[in-house]
Amino acid sequence: MEIVVCVKPVPDAETRLRATSDGTRLDPEGVKFVLAGYDESAVEQALLLKESIAGSRVHVVAFGPAPRTEEVLRATIALGADQATWVDSGADAGAEPVRAARAIAGAIASAPHDLVLCGKQANDDESGLVPAALGELLRVPEFSCVVDLRWDSATSRFRFQRPIETGVESWSAPAPLVVGLQQAWNDPRTAKLPAILKSRKAAIGKVAAASASSESRVVAERFELPPPRTGAKLIEYKTPEDAAQQLVRILREEAKVFP
Amino acid sequence: MTPNALVVGELHDGHLAASTLEVIGVARALAGGAVAGLVLGAGAKAAASEFGRFGVPEAYALDDPHLDAAPAGARAAPVAATAREVGASLLLTASTTAGRDLLGRLAVAWDAAVATGVTEATAFEGGVRVRRPVFGGRATETIRLEGSRVAIATRPHAFAAVAESPVPCVVHEVPAPVLSEAYTAPQRTGVAVTARGAGPSLTDASIVVSGGRGVRAPENFRLVEELAASLGAAVGASRAVTDAGWRPTSFQVGQTGRAVSPQLYIAVGISGAIQHIVGMVSSRVIVAINSDASAPIFRVADYGIVGDLFQIVPALTAEVRRVRGA
Ligand SMILES: Cc1cc2nc3c(=O)[nH]c(=O)nc-3n(C[C@H](O)[C@H](O)[C@H](O)COP(=O)(O)OP(=O)(O)OC[C@H]3O[C@@H](n4cnc5c(N)ncnc54)[C@H](O)[C@@H]3O)c2cc1C
Repeated sequence: MEIVVCVKPVPDAETRLRATSDGTRLDPEGVKFVLAGYDESAVEQALLLKESIAGSRVHVVAFGPAPRTEEVLRATIALGADQATWVDSGADAGAEPVRAARAIAGAIASAPHDLVLCGKQANDDESGLVPAALGELLRVPEFSCVVDLRWDSATSRFRFQRPIETGVESWSAPAPLVVGLQQAWNDPRTAKLPAILKSRKAAIGKVAAASASSESRVVAERFELPPPRTGAKLIEYKTPEDAAQQLVRILREEAKVFP
Repeated sequence: MTPNALVVGELHDGHLAASTLEVIGVARALAGGAVAGLVLGAGAKAAASEFGRFGVPEAYALDDPHLDAAPAGARAAPVAATAREVGASLLLTASTTAGRDLLGRLAVAWDAAVATGVTEATAFEGGVRVRRPVFGGRATETIRLEGSRVAIATRPHAFAAVAESPVPCVVHEVPAPVLSEAYTAPQRTGVAVTARGAGPSLTDASIVVSGGRGVRAPENFRLVEELAASLGAAVGASRAVTDAGWRPTSFQVGQTGRAVSPQLYIAVGISGAIQHIVGMVSSRVIVAINSDASAPIFRVADYGIVGDLFQIVPALTAEVRRVRGA
């Protein structure tokens, strides 16, 4: 099985976020970029499927600027991916999700893909648009919020579940398929040191992003950080009843969250 | 941009979902021209006329039960066709799983500028300006969606539901799409309605009370549930609780569970790991009850009680019942 995994470099969760001096977007200066959380799960799931289906390959594709995109691709090779392709966004890259999907679709449309695995959303823009846009561009069905993704070799179909707002759906579907993954079978593995060292020399394929032909545009205007959370206002109390009375009064009168 | 707007509604027990009523309000505020509604799936025809109750004089219905069990992509073509028919330059839906799937498709199928998770929206000459929380609520971005086709998905609870203002509503039927093999091959083999107690569902609720490992044993989870019941809230849980099997995974809030953004989130005996935080930090008001004053949850909470949940939570439930006269 040919498994394509789409990943995105995003700021590490511990990074202090800052806007550029013109205030329009995140300032990437000094930010440590890592694999997005759900993408880590997507890579893990791809590797687990590869390990359970003979003759499988994992091809990781990422859209973004240098050097961060190449770095996260190397990290996936250290984890066990067979091939990596960097779709160069150029330097100006706000990785607007639909633009990213168009670029990735351009890069993988002619490459073999029985399964295209994405994280269900990236931790930075949290749009969740890429899996569906990829499905439309590649003209294959797409499913978001997928968990427990399995390949049933007897019927040659994928089986999976989707915990959505109303309940949990079970599905079966043949390849090819685009999946927005919510969770892998287990927590993502970490790379071993020899593999990390070896991945530094691995070849990363590089392709230029096709230029977009849409008249629709998404323009970043402002990136704002809320005043740093000062931490909770802690309620000082004598008895549990006293704490409860104070909290209920605050929630009704100050925060106005219930009548 | 031409001023007409199309609202793509969702059905809940055969009626327009609460989130759709919020979307209608946004559409009426943004559209310079007419607003039309569209619903798809089983029961769409009966529900479509409900748009009239909320001041929408024209509605479209694709009453086809097959769509409910087809991949999300099957909806893209009929939705795009309806948008063209009503001359919409703006399409709106709720930022739910289905809404986000639809927008990703429409970005391509309708060649639109799109944004999900929208919490504020204003029209300007040439497009729509939206604000949306990013980085798990740690930042907010303002983006301009430009062009003659814009689609936005509004975050549930971010906007008030539209008030009733009944008008007569004409319902048009939309022909069922002819699906290619790729879209008929997938099969939905089952639907398990989310296991939950009485009360609202986790993602719809305006108040969520979640319990963590601090409750210590499955039978103690009743304390969390009673507080939730007194508030008319939904019950959530940390992964420590769902992993231990104290509650089903459908209760889990966080990176690998549900993302919620209620008006009020109460975290009981939850430490505040980053994977939990990302699922609840965009709640409007956060309250933490934890015996450890240094627990990270207090850094994202607005109000905190440092104390033993086994004492605080029952007292809180009693106090809520008292003020609510129940
Ligand atoms: C890939 C990955 C994905 C994950 N996804 C999720 C996710 O979606 N959701 C999620 O929640 N977690 C997730 N986790 C797990 C997460 O890292 C934490 O382990 C988990 O959230 C901890 O749950 P907890 O806060 O209930 O437990 P703990 O961290 O053990 O915290 C229990 C808290 O209860 C307090 N406490 C104890 N006794 C009392 C008392 N008597 N009164 C008051 N307070 C008390 C303690 O002070 C402590 O702060 C994920 C982890 C990984 C690696």
